[in-house]
Amino acid sequence: MKVVIGSDKDGFVLKEKVKHYLKEHDYEVFDVTPEPAVDFVESSLKVTRKVLENGIEKAIMFDEYGVGSAMASNKVKGMITANLNEERTAHMTAMHNGAKAIALGSGIVGEKLAYSIVQHYLDAKYAGGRHQIRLNMLEEMI
Amino acid sequence: MLDNDRPQPEFVDPKVDKHTVVALGNDHVVTAVKMAISDHLKENGYQVIDEGTHDNTRTHYPIYGKRVAEDVASGRADFGIVLCGTGIGISTAADKNEGVRAAMVGDVTQAKYARRELNANVLGFGGIVLGRDFIFDIVDAFLNTSYHATSKNKQLITKIDQIAQPNPEQKDNEHFFDAENKKWAEGAYHD
Repeated sequence: MKVVIGSDKDGFVLKEKVKHYLKEHDYEVFDVTPEPAVDFVESSLKVTRKVLENGIEKAIMFDEYGVGSAMASNKVKGMITANLNEERTAHMTAMHNGAKAIALGSGIVGEKLAYSIVQHYLDAKYAGGRHQIRLNMLEEMI
Repeated sequence: MLDNDRPQPEFVDPKVDKHTVVALGNDHVVTAVKMAISDHLKENGYQVIDEGTHDNTRTHYPIYGKRVAEDVASGRADFGIVLCGTGIGISTAADKNEGVRAAMVGDVTQAKYARRELNANVLGFGGIVLGRDFIFDIVDAFLNTSYHATSKNKQLITKIDQIAQPNPEQKDNEHFFDAENKKWAEGAYHD
């Protein structure tokens, strides 16, 4: 499975750890910030472009709180980014929102929790059905 | 409701009234949680605009995220609070509006950060993922934290505000989702 990752300076160390975890678990990783982006707007938009232009279904954005990456990237038409700090939302958002990315705050989520959240998100599949009307509505918005 | 017309509760206690209006929005999964938040806010002197949904019948979170976002963007409300099961769907919907910076949070730390550094005006969280008392703490922390402008965060906010292209078709258009709602009513979407 293909996974896009990207980070600003604050999220960079956690991004590197998750990158290592993903490679160990045989995911195909596209790191859009081998060097940290200047801020979370830049890193989250780089991830967003990679996801939307290549039809990749899963991505992870890193900054200090997670809030900013999700706030910025959701401003892009067609993007759905879920800011997470636990596993329940990680798999539910993949199933019900078809989240194209998740955001993790390096100041919020520790290393082990980050791995677990990522794995729950990557293991869950979008359910479609009644959920699709909501995604179509989101798609029509900004 | 008229533009810029603030809700007039039957009784406003001048000793506790904060003159702050909070718009609430939710999907059918968390209506009871929304009511608990509404009661909590009114007890603490806030005025509330409840944008629905008002019952437990299946509906679609973007409708309510959009209404709350427009209340905030137009100045009818000072802040918005949105919730669905996880908070992701409705906070994403709220964020996709002009003049709105919606913060999806899972704890008090993120809620305070969103106000203090990003001047977030809509708060989102999971109404069935989080418990009632923790939700009250998150709501209180968000509403009681002020934005502290710095050159760094002003620059970030400007960048965030410039990402989306304004969409006049969408803004304040209550019929924006009519086509999708019609398809739903005709049974086009099913599990």
